[in-house]
Amino acid sequence: MIAAEVLNEWYPVAMAAQIRAGQRRVTQLLGQTITVDCQEGAIVVTGQGGALHVTEAYGHVWACPGTPAHDLFPIPEASEHGRRLVDVGVVRVKCSPLRAVENFLDIAHFPFVHTDVLGAEPHTEVNRYEVQIREDSDEVWATKVTFYQPQAAKSSEGGIVTQYMYRVAAPTAAVLYKTCPNRTDAWDVIGIFVQPLSEELCDVWPWMALYDDVSPQAELIAFQQMIFLQDRSILENQIPRLLPLDPGMEIPTQADLTSIAYRRWLKKRGLTYGAQMVAA
Amino acid sequence: MTPRWTATGLSQDLPKAVAMAGYGHGHDLAVWRSATGRLQAWNDRCPHRGMRLSHGFVRGETLACIYHGWVYGADGGCKHIPAHPALTPPATITVTAFACVEQDGVIWVAPADMAGSPPAISGMQPLRSISLTCGVADVLAAEPTLSGQDVLRGLVQIGGQTCGICLVVQDSPAGLTLHVLCGVGADKVAASRWVEDLRRRAEAKVAA
Repeated sequence: MIAAEVLNEWYPVAMAAQIRAGQRRVTQLLGQTITVDCQEGAIVVTGQGGALHVTEAYGHVWACPGTPAHDLFPIPEASEHGRRLVDVGVVRVKCSPLRAVENFLDIAHFPFVHTDVLGAEPHTEVNRYEVQIREDSDEVWATKVTFYQPQAAKSSEGGIVTQYMYRVAAPTAAVLYKTCPNRTDAWDVIGIFVQPLSEELCDVWPWMALYDDVSPQAELIAFQQMIFLQDRSILENQIPRLLPLDPGMEIPTQADLTSIAYRRWLKKRGLTYGAQMVAA
Repeated sequence: MTPRWTATGLSQDLPKAVAMAGYGHGHDLAVWRSATGRLQAWNDRCPHRGMRLSHGFVRGETLACIYHGWVYGADGGCKHIPAHPALTPPATITVTAFACVEQDGVIWVAPADMAGSPPAISGMQPLRSISLTCGVADVLAAEPTLSGQDVLRGLVQIGGQTCGICLVVQDSPAGLTLHVLCGVGADKVAASRWVEDLRRRAEAKVAA
């Protein structure tokens, strides 16, 4: 029995362009088989109990298997003039959807997992940053995050200290804002939209809204795919596969403030699909 | 679970400054050899975020987790957290260590307080490790000249020669692994082919 709090959220289930191009997608959502297809110009998601609530945003199809508790979260930057919106595609990962999101919120792993790209020894220190659970939007935010990066983006030419903001916008969706190598007055925006196939299996859909008029589309996608495949080698080797919400099962440090807040937020809201509540 | 020694690999397959995955006494293990050759077996899980330490990297006499680079010293205690270089990690951050010895070219593990030594396998040379999708009973059924429980021994015909063979059993939820030793002076290539043939015959017992 899946909790109503879980069922009433929005989850990504497909890339909209693929469905609109006529590709029917038979997939899983929260352990149930669903079909995503295009009928007379409208995208329809069907499960065993009939049609699911559907919305289309940020290049993806989103479905809610229950009664939506709220609208899908906004990403205002998605409609800003001059940004390139990039659908990266899908990476299937044998892990809890919550572990995939938590990894996305983590910077301390950059020098070890994304070596010489998003981080490099000896630049391993994570400076203090600020984390809050914003009551108005009911989102987790981390701000004033800084980190030294040898190649922060496809368009980077050498190392820079990158500034970041992180935002958990939905139980299985997060957005980051980072220094744009080409512009000092704007942030690059990268999202990961995680489709929970089951509690221990997910499809991860990265998405980007960048100021980059130069890099070929294929190279932007290849860069993100490389990053996420490096993450996958970690995510499929964490024990347990479920995300432990019980303090005591895993030992955090100051650099993990975002992860701590995410776990508390999930627990408080009853969003425990993909979580382990009691230490095994 | 009665404490006992479990074979988890061959010494020749674990060079200095390398970590590998092992299994013993109901636990996935990170088995690793330091730069000076010291062998250790730890619970295969970093206490920070649960990452397998067998994917980690050895530097000097320490093993570091591949996820965030947390460094663990010879006693299993956390020595360094790269995200906070100035911090002395609390003594409570430790990885459980197991007893780990090598004898006759085989790496053995047991609970930390294990007394005594692993079974002796004298007069043999290490050959290779092999994974099978069947049980020990199928191996014995396929090659009735072998006998034993944790260490299967026997004299078999390899390339027209009579050859001593020793199969050290490692049973885990992931499946059966045999660490194979053969008589000193045996043709190792022929013995290796014989082992692969044994695997086919033993796995056929399951299908049958």
